[in-house]
Amino acid sequence: MSTVEEKKSNPLSRFMGDEANAVSAWDAEKTHVGEIVESSTTELVAEAPQLHGAPSFGQFVRVDSEMPIIGIVFNVFTHSIEPNRRPTAYGKTEDELRMEQPQIFELLRTEFQALVIGYIDDIGPAQVLPPYPARIHSFVHLCSDEEVRAFTRTDDYLRSILNTSKIPTDELLIAALRQTMRAHEGAHAYLVRMGKELSRLLGDDYDRLSSIIRRAAY
Amino acid sequence: MQVPRKKRHSIARGRSRAKRNKGTKNSAMLDLYAVKTQIDEMVADERHAQQDYREKLEIAVREYRRWSPEWQRLAEKIARSRTSWLMPGLVEALDGPSALPARPEQISIAATDGSQIFPDRHEISSCFLINIGYILLHYGTGEKPLMSSKPSLYYREDEVFEDWGGRRIFVNRELVGAKRGLMEFTELADLALAAQEMGHRVLAFSDGTLIQWSLEGKPQDFKQYFLKATMKGFDKLAAAGIPIIGYISQPGSQELVNALKLGLCPQQAADCDRCPWRKENQLGLDATEKEGLDEQLWRGRVPCSPVEGINDAVLLRQILEPGQRTPVYRSSSKILEEYGPHWIYFFYVHVGQEIGRVEIPQWVAEDKEMLALVHACICDQAEKGQGYPVALSEAHERAVVRGADRETFYRFLRDTFVKNDIRANISTKSFKKRHAGI
Repeated sequence: MSTVEEKKSNPLSRFMGDEANAVSAWDAEKTHVGEIVESSTTELVAEAPQLHGAPSFGQFVRVDSEMPIIGIVFNVFTHSIEPNRRPTAYGKTEDELRMEQPQIFELLRTEFQALVIGYIDDIGPAQVLPPYPARIHSFVHLCSDEEVRAFTRTDDYLRSILNTSKIPTDELLIAALRQTMRAHEGAHAYLVRMGKELSRLLGDDYDRLSSIIRRAAY
Repeated sequence: MQVPRKKRHSIARGRSRAKRNKGTKNSAMLDLYAVKTQIDEMVADERHAQQDYREKLEIAVREYRRWSPEWQRLAEKIARSRTSWLMPGLVEALDGPSALPARPEQISIAATDGSQIFPDRHEISSCFLINIGYILLHYGTGEKPLMSSKPSLYYREDEVFEDWGGRRIFVNRELVGAKRGLMEFTELADLALAAQEMGHRVLAFSDGTLIQWSLEGKPQDFKQYFLKATMKGFDKLAAAGIPIIGYISQPGSQELVNALKLGLCPQQAADCDRCPWRKENQLGLDATEKEGLDEQLWRGRVPCSPVEGINDAVLLRQILEPGQRTPVYRSSSKILEEYGPHWIYFFYVHVGQEIGRVEIPQWVAEDKEMLALVHACICDQAEKGQGYPVALSEAHERAVVRGADRETFYRFLRDTFVKNDIRANISTKSFKKRHAGI
């Protein structure tokens, strides 16, 4: 509560946008890594609260809602917020720019895209597409190790990854596997199960399978 | 064959008008062919004008250099003379560029700019909107800048009708513009003061002139209201010791050139109304007297005409090196008599891409330290903004209301009126603009 009062006494707060004031009041309890700005049944686009503050490629994220939606980050991008203004080269380091051209960091946004791979309902995690897409402006959180473990008790999501066409499928698969293995603390049983599932999914494409396993285990 | 310039010009005009009428027969939009012909003619005329211009510029530079060592004599002549042009008060010197001082490592720049949606009587409601953009950039600390904008909608009876000079008038573009200008200024003062309160060393940048010359000739109560509010802002800034500057990009002002014009006048004290070289003032003179005067003419024109048409920025482009500024001059605008201790002074500065005009109140002009700070910061800002102060261009970006925004605003307005069952109508002209039938 004290932070809200502090902000009020800031003589500059009158000049700040309403959102800026609202966000600063939130600062203390803010744990989200993104806010949904585009949503469909199969895909999400979320804006990171800070520049370069997106979750990493392959990380599992959860969207707040009655039926939390689970996704895997497959693309992170930073761009200008104004359509007719493009970043240009200044020939300075980021630190120098922060000191001498502070405005440019206010004009850039980091966003990320996530592939929807399932949701959680009363019964538990379901590795199928959710009945409704995530709502615009919902918050996106990182999945805890425990949530990742719970969600990856079965491996049907691997098929969802392999079936999408527009993303670097193998790369995403590898990144996702590395995340889940970390969540499972490298448990031997989990590794074996993954290997079996992948070999089933990839059929006789032995080269591809070995490349994925080799790189995931690296 | 060379056709005399004047003649050529009139022939060209006649022809183009005829073409313009013919060309419109099968096109509802701008007839580009007709425009192109006129552009060609304009360029041809322009080339002639430019040769003339180069010569005038050389004369201006020569005169500037000639008067520099004896600027005091020129200043005295300015004081003695009665001209119809705005004259600079030469207080330090005429020439003598100052080199660029270093900017303090830590400094904050506050800037505001405004934009508006003018009242439109063809629209659903005659309200208007003013949007102010706020910028506060901190240098050398890495602190997060403040970049925001705040719109204000004016719609109440007492907001769209104003009483000035005993007349009740519906707000027009001019009034909205004046209101916006005042808001830009008072909000800038408040923003700079708030920044100082937060412990920042701050400079306030205003877009455009600090001289409210447009108030001259306005109803007394109107003038007093605007001046009082402006002076209050100046008072607060002066008390806090926050330098305020008005930056004018591509200035068209000619004060220095006017001083040179006066320098060219053969008379000890010029009085333009009684200029002896003008034919209308030569009644009652005998032939020899007239001849004597005619000898002093420059190409058949009055003796001060060689630098006519040159402005200060063009002249100083030849004088100043990037980063350098001129001495400080005192403006002689009449409205400044009401400015009290905040009389406006100005200097020109080569910011790298152009010659800019910087206006400052007296208490900044007289404080060497503040003046150096202003000089350093304006050049630094222009360098950061590739030629134009970055704080001002960002303030503009925040403030600007584009055509699409205006459309959205009126759509919002119409939708909200309809949803709430409020009776309103839009003019047939406005309707036609949106739905032009065939």
